[in-house]
Amino acid sequence: MSTEDHPAPRSLAEALRGRDDASLAALLRSRPDLVTPVPTDLTQLATRAGTRASVVRALERLDRFALQTAEALAVAADPSSYDELLGLMAGDARDPEVSAALPAALAALREQALVWGADDRLRLVRTARELLAPSPQHPSPTGLGPSVREATAGMSPGRIQEIVATAGLPSTHDSVSAVDALTALFTHRRKMKALLAKAPAESLEVLERLVWGPPYGQVTHDPAPRLRWLLDRGLLLPTAPGTVVLPREVALHLRAGRAHRAPEPLPPAVEPAATHRPQVVDSTAAGQAYTALATVEELLKDWDEGGPAVLRAGGLSVRDLKRTAVALDVPEPVAAFWVELAYAAGLIASDGEADERYAATPAYDEWLERPAAERWARLAEAWLAATRTSGVVGGRDAKERALSALGPGLDRSAAPEVRHRVLSLLAALPEGAAPDPQAVLARLRWERPLRGPQAASPALQGEEDLRSRLARWTLTEAELLGVTGRGALSAQGRALIGGSPAAPGRHPEPQGPGDKLPVHHHRTAAPLAPLSPPEQAVAVAAATRLLAPLLPEPLDHVLLQADLTAVAPGPLRRPLAEVLGVLADVESKGGATVYRFTPGSVRRALDAGRSASDLHAFLAQHSRTPVPQPLAYLIDDVARRHGQLRVGAASAYVRCDDDTVLNEILADKRAGALRLRRLAPTVLAAQADPATLLEGLRAMGYAPAAESAEGDVLITRAHAHRTPPRTAPEPVPDGPPVPDATLLTAAVRAIRAGDLASTAPRKPTDTATALAPGELPRTSSAETLATMQAAVLTGEALWIGYVNAEGSASQRVIAPVRVEGGFVTAYDHTADEVRTYPLHRITGVAELADE
Amino acid sequence: MNGPLIVQSDKTLLLEVDHEQADACRRAIAPFAELERAPEHIHTYRVTPLGLWNARAAGHDAEQVVDALVLYSRYPVPHALLVDIAETMDRYGRLTLSKHPAHGLVLTTTDRPVLEEILRSKRIAPLVGARIDPDTVAVHPSERGQIKQTLLKLGWPAEDLAGYVDGEAHPIELAEDGWALRPYQKQAVENFWHGGSGVVVLPCGAGKTLVGAGSMAQAKSTTLILVTNTVSARQWKHELVKRTSLTEDEIGEYSGTRKEIRPVTIATYQVLTTRRKGVYPHLELFDSRDWGLIVYDEVHLLPAPVFKFTADLQARRRLGLTATLVREDGRESDVFSLIGPKRFDAPWKEIEAQGYIAPADCVEVRVNLTDSERLAYATAEAEEKYRFCATTATKRKVTEAIVRRFAGQQILVIGQYIDQLDELGEHLNAPVIKGETSNAQREKLFDAFREGEISVLVVSKVANFSIDLPEATVAIQVSGTFGSRQEEAQRLGRVLRPKADGHQAHFYSVVARDTIDQDFAAHRQRFLAEQGYAYRIMDADELLAEG
Repeated sequence: MSTEDHPAPRSLAEALRGRDDASLAALLRSRPDLVTPVPTDLTQLATRAGTRASVVRALERLDRFALQTAEALAVAADPSSYDELLGLMAGDARDPEVSAALPAALAALREQALVWGADDRLRLVRTARELLAPSPQHPSPTGLGPSVREATAGMSPGRIQEIVATAGLPSTHDSVSAVDALTALFTHRRKMKALLAKAPAESLEVLERLVWGPPYGQVTHDPAPRLRWLLDRGLLLPTAPGTVVLPREVALHLRAGRAHRAPEPLPPAVEPAATHRPQVVDSTAAGQAYTALATVEELLKDWDEGGPAVLRAGGLSVRDLKRTAVALDVPEPVAAFWVELAYAAGLIASDGEADERYAATPAYDEWLERPAAERWARLAEAWLAATRTSGVVGGRDAKERALSALGPGLDRSAAPEVRHRVLSLLAALPEGAAPDPQAVLARLRWERPLRGPQAASPALQGEEDLRSRLARWTLTEAELLGVTGRGALSAQGRALIGGSPAAPGRHPEPQGPGDKLPVHHHRTAAPLAPLSPPEQAVAVAAATRLLAPLLPEPLDHVLLQADLTAVAPGPLRRPLAEVLGVLADVESKGGATVYRFTPGSVRRALDAGRSASDLHAFLAQHSRTPVPQPLAYLIDDVARRHGQLRVGAASAYVRCDDDTVLNEILADKRAGALRLRRLAPTVLAAQADPATLLEGLRAMGYAPAAESAEGDVLITRAHAHRTPPRTAPEPVPDGPPVPDATLLTAAVRAIRAGDLASTAPRKPTDTATALAPGELPRTSSAETLATMQAAVLTGEALWIGYVNAEGSASQRVIAPVRVEGGFVTAYDHTADEVRTYPLHRITGVAELADE
Repeated sequence: MNGPLIVQSDKTLLLEVDHEQADACRRAIAPFAELERAPEHIHTYRVTPLGLWNARAAGHDAEQVVDALVLYSRYPVPHALLVDIAETMDRYGRLTLSKHPAHGLVLTTTDRPVLEEILRSKRIAPLVGARIDPDTVAVHPSERGQIKQTLLKLGWPAEDLAGYVDGEAHPIELAEDGWALRPYQKQAVENFWHGGSGVVVLPCGAGKTLVGAGSMAQAKSTTLILVTNTVSARQWKHELVKRTSLTEDEIGEYSGTRKEIRPVTIATYQVLTTRRKGVYPHLELFDSRDWGLIVYDEVHLLPAPVFKFTADLQARRRLGLTATLVREDGRESDVFSLIGPKRFDAPWKEIEAQGYIAPADCVEVRVNLTDSERLAYATAEAEEKYRFCATTATKRKVTEAIVRRFAGQQILVIGQYIDQLDELGEHLNAPVIKGETSNAQREKLFDAFREGEISVLVVSKVANFSIDLPEATVAIQVSGTFGSRQEEAQRLGRVLRPKADGHQAHFYSVVARDTIDQDFAAHRQRFLAEQGYAYRIMDADELLAEG
C-alpha cells in the first residue's frame, strides 16, 4: 500500500477501500463487533466503525501508549501531520523512546480504523475525536484546554483587538485574522519566550499551576495585577464569568510541546522479584495441587449426604458458605473459590428436586477414579476457561443484590483472558522467578488503561477496576490451585497455558514512519488470547505428564501410637483413608494426617457395620508398629457395649403373662396381617395400631383389654366426645365500630374539601359550557398553563380535574404556588397539604366563582 | 525429599523420631516450636506466634526458621505458612523497651504507624506517659510487665532491652562434693542465664531444685524462692543447705508460722496471697530486700494475684520451674509473658532413657460397679456423680489387692476424698496424711516412710507437689481432682525419683468403668500419654484373679 497508487483518501470509507484483505481482516479481528451482522459494504463498515459504541469499545482495548497517541491527535489540528503528532508526543526535545515507539502505536490505531489518512494528513475518526477532545464537561487526560480559536469564539472584536495590541502585535482588520496572529505568536517558541520573559514572576507562577491541567481557574471581578497581565495578553482567556482558561497553544508552549506529562511508550517491565530453584517451585506447586485435590474431595464428602439448599434466587446462602469455610478450615473467599471450582469442573450441581440441594454429579465419581494428576488437570482446565469468578462473591451487583457463590451474576467475561494474560506474563519470566504482583498489575493497566478522569489521577481510584481485581484473584487462585508455587509459574503451569520455557518476544519492533499500514504482518505470535479447545487439551495433557511424578505416592500404612492417635505420614490409599476416616477423627491435615481414636469414632465404625475383630484385623494389617494395648482395649470396650440396647418402632404391643397364649397367637395364620414379632417371652410387638390389634385379636376369639400409657387397663364405655379447650367466639356486632375523635375530624375535613371541589360556583369560561355537577373541567393545555400562571400571581384557588398515575380521575381545589418544568406546585385544599402535580395529568382548570 | 518432618496446615510439625535426621531436625526446630506431644513414633511440635517471637528474642530470624522447615520437611511446605511465619516474626522488635538517660523507661518504635496503632488502644493508654518524640513514648517503670503483657496480646511484642538489676550480691556456690549437676540441668541453668528470665520444664523427680540452686550459684545474689507449701519450703531449705555453700542461718522461711527474711528467703504462695481487709499484707516481702533472683517453684500453680505482683518485678531475673506447663485455667501465656519464655524442656522419656528418672509402668485398672451401685450412680445428682463413682467400695478391694501384690515395697495411696482415704487407711492399716494433719506430724510420717518404718502411706492431694519421697515405688490413685492433667503428672512424679536399685516404678489408677470417672481418667492421662507413657488397661477381675 502506498499513496502513489491511490489518491489521498477523503473519508474513512475510502481509506478502508484502499486497504488490502489481510489488513481488513486484522481490523475485523481486533474489532469483532464490526462483523455482527456482516456489513454490506465498506461504507457501511466505515459508518459502523464510526459509531460511538464501537469506537468506545475500540478505545478501551488500546494499550496506554496507543491511547495517549489518540488523545494527542484529538488535541491536534484535524488533519495533522506525523511531525505535528510526533511533536505532541515526544515534545520539542524529541524523546528518542517515544519517537521510536510512535510509528507502531500509530500503525495500531490505523489498523483499528481509528486513524486514517496518510502521514501528512492524519485524521482521527470524528467520534473518537469527540470522545477524546477536551471540553469543560469532560477534561482531557492530557489536561489541555481549548485552543485560542475555540476560547475566543464569543469574545467581542474590540476586546480581541485590545489583546492583540497588548501582546505586541499589529492590529488587524477583523477578528479572524487577529486570532490567527495570536495563535501564530503562541505557537512560535522564540517569540513566545520573549513575551513570557517580560511577565512578572507571580504571573508565571499562575501559568505554572495551570500548565498540566486542569487548565481552568477562577478569577474575581477585579483580577489581581498578575492575572490582569495574563488576561490582557490572551495568555489566559475568559470562558464564563469568573472562569478563565489557559489556551491549548500556551500550555503546549510551556510544556515544550508535549501533550502528555508522562508519555509511556514502553510497557512497564515485569521483573523477577524473587527467584527460587525451579524444583522448589514445581514441588511447592505440586504440594498445593495435592492440597487442592484433597480440599475438593473433602468438600464433596462434606456434601455427600445432601449438600446445602439452593437459594430461591440461586446459589449458596451466606450461612452455608460460612459453614463450608469452617468445615474446610479456610477463609470464606477461599471456600467460595473451591465451591465455584468444583462447580466449574462439573463436579457439583443442583439436584433439581423439589427442595433443591447441591450434590455431587455422577462425573464426580468418575473423577475420583482418575489418577491424581488427571484429577488436577481437570480442575485446572476448568479454572482457566471459567468466566465465573468467585472473587466477586459477597459483593453486590448493580441492582444491589448480594452475589452468592454458585448463584447468578458471577460471570465476568474478561476473566479467562485476564487469567491467560497474567499467566503469560509469569511465563515470560525465567523459570522459578516470581514477579512483584504490583508490577503485573501495572503491566495489565498499561495494556488496557482506564479512560476518563480516574486514569488521569491514580489517587482517585478508590475502587480498583475489574481487570486489576481479576488479575489479583488470578495470582492467588493460581497459587491455591498449584499452577504457581511461591509466586512463580511451575513447569506444569507453564505447560497448561501452552507455553514453552523460552520467553516469548516483546512487542513488535519499532518501524519507521513510512511503514504505515500492514502492522498485522509484524505482530509476533505471543499468545494474547486463550488457547482453542484442541490446543488446550494438548496443553493439559502435557501438564498432567509433568505433574504426575511430583505428586506423593499414596501409602498403605499408618503409625499407631499409645496416645490413641494414628499418623499417616503421607496421603493414604483411598480404601484405607475411607475406613480410617470412619474409625477415627481427623485431628490435623496437611502432608500427613493425624487421626484420633475416641469412643465415639470407634462406635461410628461399629455402626457402619464393622465388628471389633474386623477393626483389630484392619489395624494390625495397616499398622507398621504393634497395635498399642489401650487402642485394642478401647475397641473391645466400645464393642462390648455396642448394640446392648436395641431401638425399634412398633405401633402396639401384646403383653401376656402366659407365654403359651402368645405362642398360639403367633402360630395363628389370621394374625399375619397384624405383623406381630416376639420381643420377649411375654411381649409381642405389632405394626398394627392398637384399635386394629384389639379388633383382630377379638376376631380370633381372644378377649384382650386395652392398656393406657401408664399400664392401667382402659375401660371402654360410652362417653361423650369433647373437643380440646376452645375459646368462645367473639361477638360480631352489626355494623362497624364507633369511630374515635381523630378519625372523625379527618373524615369531616376530607368531606368538606371534596364538597368544595365539586360544588364551588365557577366562573363560566367563554369556551366551555357549564359543566354538569361532578364532571371534570376540560381546557386545552395552553389555557391550563395560562390560568395556572395567572393564579400564581393572584394567589387564587382553582378547581382542577386531575387523573393520577393509576388513571383514576378526581377533582381538587388547589392554590398554585409555582409553575415550572411541567409541574405545578400548589396548596391542595382537598388534601390539606402542598403537593406537586404534573401539568399533563391535569385535564382542565376552572376558576372558582367569587363568593 | 525424604526428611523426618511433616508440616501440617494447622501449623503443627510432625517429627518422625526413628528417622536418622530426627535429632538434627529436633535441634533445628526447638528454638521456635513447642513440643506438644511426644508419644513413641511421631512427636508433634506446634508453631505459635509466641514461640516465633521467643525465637526472635533469642536471636533467630525468619530465614533460619524457614530454612529449618524447608530443609527437613518431607513434603513441600505450604507457601502461605512460610509467609505467615515471616510476617509474624516481623512483628517482633518493631517496638522496644529500653532505658533512656533522661526519661527512664521508654518505648521506641522503628515503625511509626505501629506506635500510633498501639497508643490508640484503650488498654495501652493508661500504661504510657508523655510522648517524647514521634517515635518514643515514656513508660512508667512499674508498668513494664503490664505493658509487655498487653503488647503481646495486641500482637506487637516489645523487645525488652531495659535489662536487669543485679540485686544485692550474696556469695552462693554449689557444693559439688560427690555429686555434680547432670548435663541437662547444666544446660537448663545455662539456657536460663543466657536468656535472662524464663521457665524450665523438667519431669518430676528430675531435680528441678538443683536447677534452682545452680541458677542461684550463677546469680550470686539474694534470692526469693516462692513455693507451694511449708513442707516444700523445708525441703528446699534442706536441699539448699546440702547442695550449696549456704548455711541454715542464711536461709529464711516466710510462711504462716515463721516470718524470717534472710539473704535467701523461701516463701509460700499461700502467705503471699493472704488478704486482710482487701490488702495483701505480705507483699512488702518483694521490696524487703534488693532481690537479684526470684524463683517460682511449680509455676503452673502460680495463683492469679502473684501474676499481678510479678508484673511489677520485670527488672529482676525470674526463674520458673515446673513439670507440666499445662494450666487447667489456660493462663500459660501469662506465665510466658510475665516470667519469661520456656528456656528448657526435655521429653520425660528422654530423661528416663538417660536413667535420671525411674521407668514407670502405668496401669489403669477398671473396676465394675455392682448392680446396686450402678443404679445408685444413675440416679445420683450430676454434681455428686463423680464423688460417687470415684469412691465406690469396689475400689477398696482392688487397692488392697494391689497393696498385697507389692507387699514389702514403699506404697503411696493417693486420693481426693477424705472419707475414702480414712476408710482405706483403716483397712490397709496405714496412716493417713490429709489437710488437717499438722506439719510436724506430716514431716514425722514422711520421715518414717523414707526410713522404711512405714511401707504404706495414704495421702490426700496435699502430697501432690514437692514432697520428696525417693523410696516410693508404687503409687495407687483412687480418685482425683476431676480431669486435671497436671495432677496426674505430679502424682506419677511421686514415684519417678530414681531408685537406688534401678527398680521400676508402678503407677496404678483405679477407675470405675462406664462412669464419668473413666472419662476424667482418659483426660487426666492425656498429658502423660503424650509424654510417651503408655497406660495399660486392665480389668479389675483380671487383677483380682492374679492375686
